[in-house]
Amino acid sequence: MTTMKSHHPISTTLRPTLAVGAALAATGLMAAPPPGQLLSSMCSQCHGTNGLAVSGFESISGKSATEMYKTLLEMSQRRPENIMDLQARAYTPEQLRLIANYLATLPPAGSETLNK
Amino acid sequence: MNANRRDFIKMAGFASASWALPKAVSAATTAPHVLVIGGGFGGATVAKYLKLWGGNIDVTLIDRDASHYACILSNLVVTGALPMSRIQLGYTNLQTKRGVNFAQGEALSVDPMAKEVTVKIGSDYFAYSYDKLVLAPGIEFINPAGNYNASLTPHAWKAGPQTLLLKNQLSAMTKGQTFVMTIPKSPYRCPPGPYERACSVADYLKRKKSGAKIIVLDANASIQAEPVNFGNAFSKTYKGVLTYIPNAAVVSVDSSAKSIVTSQGTFKSAVLNVIPNQRAGQIVTNAGLVNDPTGKWALVNPLSYASTLYPDIHILGDSQGTGQPKSGHMANSQAKVCANAIIRAFNGEAPDPSPVTSSACFSPITATTAAWLTASFQYDPTTKAMKRVEASFAEAPQPTSDGMQQMFHWADNIFADSFG
Repeated sequence: MTTMKSHHPISTTLRPTLAVGAALAATGLMAAPPPGQLLSSMCSQCHGTNGLAVSGFESISGKSATEMYKTLLEMSQRRPENIMDLQARAYTPEQLRLIANYLATLPPAGSETLNK
Repeated sequence: MNANRRDFIKMAGFASASWALPKAVSAATTAPHVLVIGGGFGGATVAKYLKLWGGNIDVTLIDRDASHYACILSNLVVTGALPMSRIQLGYTNLQTKRGVNFAQGEALSVDPMAKEVTVKIGSDYFAYSYDKLVLAPGIEFINPAGNYNASLTPHAWKAGPQTLLLKNQLSAMTKGQTFVMTIPKSPYRCPPGPYERACSVADYLKRKKSGAKIIVLDANASIQAEPVNFGNAFSKTYKGVLTYIPNAAVVSVDSSAKSIVTSQGTFKSAVLNVIPNQRAGQIVTNAGLVNDPTGKWALVNPLSYASTLYPDIHILGDSQGTGQPKSGHMANSQAKVCANAIIRAFNGEAPDPSPVTSSACFSPITATTAAWLTASFQYDPTTKAMKRVEASFAEAPQPTSDGMQQMFHWADNIFADSFG
């Protein structure tokens, strides 16, 4: 690879990867994206990367998948009053389920020593 | 792995380098390399998420500037409500926290066969090779006819020095004077943006330069986003201060005289904020990737943002022509779809068949209230295009102070999601 980086290291990640990612990296393959990861990343512009908000809005990671799904479904069905009701309408119920399930696997707010 | 051993390109005026490529290093690394050109919301987000999701991928981000200035909140910098530092987004976190390699330089040309991009850094030229290339350079302006000079009649449609230029001109206005602004023909960067600017300026003039006025010359036939909120602002909130003139096509601009000829008349003013019509960023044009019917934007596969011409070159954000609105929030969404698709491609897999992209935007209407707009898109396999989910598309019922608070929360979170 001939990237000329006279003042940048050629080495790849500067932070330790997750154990799974590292194991797969060793074999030359990357971890396949988990279902719901891409969909729920559309929430991050307001709710933060990995569902950890930096300001104002709720963090949405590490909560009960059932409760999250119920909330999102409700928002998508009730008379729209705020921006979340409209955001929830972007997705099919199946997609909301995938989002809720994936967000539930992420470390909740307050445990930010992980995945930093 | 790309084992390209070509020497770096020597261009006229380039002094020969005193260092050679360390071959040992290029042989040692086996990670695929993604080169990202453009460090705005699109480029920064794709660089970050490739590292976050992809693990063993080498990512290099190139931008012309040492840090990015966000257009988001920039109208409040123009009115003096916020300092420039509020919208300054550095690349430090992407490097130290996410492992992205960053270089400040200008990408000049792309060689899709050799899979190399020529980048000018300082006074030197380098060839950066890639396995996948992402171009996210934003917009380029189509300058109006006449004696047009953005240093005299700023657009402030790329934040940074232009923002300060317009801010200084606005604050120097006296009460009898007029601020004239133009709104470009759709599609352009940030559909609600120009109307937001009009409101921010009108509010400022009303509070600080009583007697001064603003004339809004819109090339479009009507308000392009949030027609109710902006329509009410124009006709009621700013009645007497703001005049809105639709169907005003720009004929020519004399930046020195601060005068403009349009299809709706000639105007001369103390401040002339021409926001020109727009097209894809220059590097996209240089690379021969502009191929939409209007000759302005690059066509891509919405499942991956790969160019319809070259499968290893992705174009996202303002420059691409899928018909989705051009905004930082949307570029962030597209970047995630693109990162996901590139990772899958490195794994030999097809892209996610059902991506969703989302756009949301909060706009100040007065000094204390803001409205919002949102729209989301689903992939339609019949048309192979992103289709707006109509049920998800709406503007705020009215501007509120809650909306203003939410605006700042949104800005903080999207800044961190893209650059943090």
